Amino acid sequence: MAYLLISPALVLILVFAVYPFIVAVINSFNLVDINTGMKTPVGLENYVAIFADANTRDSFFRSISWTTSNMILQVVLGVAVAMLLNLNLKGQRIARVLVLIPYMVPAIVAALVFRFMFNDVTGVVNYVLMKVGFIDQPLNWLSDPAMMMPTLVAVNVWKYSPFFIIVVLARLQSIPKDLFEAVAIDGGGWWHRFTAVTLPSIIPVVLAGMLLRTIWTAYDFDVPYLLSNGGGPSGSAVTVPLQIRALAFDQQQLGQASALAVCTAILLTGAAYFYLRGYRKSEKASE
Amino acid sequence: MSIDVNSRAAQPIAPVSRAAAKKRSPMATLGRTLQYAALVTVVLTAIVPMYWIVVNAIRPDSEIAAYPPTIFPKELTFKHFIDLFEVYGFQQYLTNSLIVSSIATVVALVFGIMAAYAMSRFEFKGVRAVGELSLLAYLLPPILVLVPITQILFGNGLGDNRAALAVLYVATLLPFALWILRSYFSGLGIDTEEAAMIDGCTRFGAFIRVVLPQTLPGIASTAIFTFNAAWSEYLFASTLMTSNEKLPANPAVFLLMGHMGTESWGLLMAAALTIILPVMILFFMAQKWLVAGLTEGAVKG
Repeated sequence: MAYLLISPALVLILVFAVYPFIVAVINSFNLVDINTGMKTPVGLENYVAIFADANTRDSFFRSISWTTSNMILQVVLGVAVAMLLNLNLKGQRIARVLVLIPYMVPAIVAALVFRFMFNDVTGVVNYVLMKVGFIDQPLNWLSDPAMMMPTLVAVNVWKYSPFFIIVVLARLQSIPKDLFEAVAIDGGGWWHRFTAVTLPSIIPVVLAGMLLRTIWTAYDFDVPYLLSNGGGPSGSAVTVPLQIRALAFDQQQLGQASALAVCTAILLTGAAYFYLRGYRKSEKASE
Repeated sequence: MSIDVNSRAAQPIAPVSRAAAKKRSPMATLGRTLQYAALVTVVLTAIVPMYWIVVNAIRPDSEIAAYPPTIFPKELTFKHFIDLFEVYGFQQYLTNSLIVSSIATVVALVFGIMAAYAMSRFEFKGVRAVGELSLLAYLLPPILVLVPITQILFGNGLGDNRAALAVLYVATLLPFALWILRSYFSGLGIDTEEAAMIDGCTRFGAFIRVVLPQTLPGIASTAIFTFNAAWSEYLFASTLMTSNEKLPANPAVFLLMGHMGTESWGLLMAAALTIILPVMILFFMAQKWLVAGLTEGAVKG
């Protein structure tokens, strides 16, 4: 009975997750003809090729800065806003609902509206920033290669910070009030309450959230691709996922695309392992 | 950690209770004002892009192109929506999205409930392995398997096929549904269920009458997240659907965007509005459950 109930899920996961992943690993050691699917073993040639390719190397370093800047900003903002929403301000119930909206917005819609708002010449963002006096002349958000990444990160932070906000807020609300009172009685101020009670309570959930979001951010295709209109000026938005797709479908190098996918999968598995270890440690510490 | 009750009684005016006092110092008032300013900024940052979509979807092109831009619309028009549907046939893409996402959501939920219930109620060999496998599948980024899945589907003549896309969505969304539902079922005591079975219910009957009603909020929030994920999916849809009339709405908008210049922002905003409307309605109807579901999935996933 149990096996019967579980088999559809198991079959689907095996067919659409496990099997394709194995195919990706096999592909990475072969030269694959995109039309016929014929495979010719080439050993490590695909791996050598992607390491030798300057564009692929660039995409790799771009992915690292994309992922780290996203994670730092999302966690800091997520924790800060969660604490703000936990202050018992008037209107915070509706505020809690409204700050979640960006998380539900499809990437294509976010890409559309921000391309509209960040338009170099006619965009409302430049207009408002100039009006307020933050900038003297319009910024080239989407057309200057040096601005491309910061713009992408800003939009991605807008879209995904709510994830951390909600996760941290839930944990904040579960902290017993006595803990804060205890610190206060001991004469501790705001900072002491934060470091002695708040921080230790939220670190496990923040780490668990970061594990998930690091993987998905590193592999996020939609926001960079759609907002940069497929790669940005001089390829300034090409992160690893965009490079994987470009290698596969534009340059028809399925083997190299797979090799790149396998390399980054190994790196992320390593990162996940260290996160999990840290998470388990902090879970134990907070018990 | 416990607190000495006596020490609390001895010091009734603890700093935390200061906010409750009627009289506030000027510093405290300033602090509160800053907090409200921060709250307003955060909320505005979250919703202003949504406002910009709505406003520009319903005002004429002349106003959209005007510089400096105006914050409030002076004149309202439905022209962009009429163009979207009558000239560009956007309803076709919305229908594709609706069919594929609905089928994917229903099937993923049914399979997910079956598997999650089995995993939380039965002891069997491999339950741990299946759980870990589903977590791995949940973490697996789509771009990693994009190339092989494209090969497999096209190789079997299933490229450009809406049913195949729906099945693929079921497979990618199932691990998430399974993971969340499992924690809902596990959190539910087994007693009432057993009582129902002693009273003559079959296991299936007990499930329908006892378990399902109690986990309905969790199932609803899982359904909405699943639907939203399928509705928003871009990568697979844009790669697997080769003929335009079979495209879901998301990649179709990107086509629309590629074909046009900046003059058509009104049309694009109208398209964006039709895409987010169903999601937003679901979101506001069920926001209470969604927050619980999101937290559950994030912390335990």
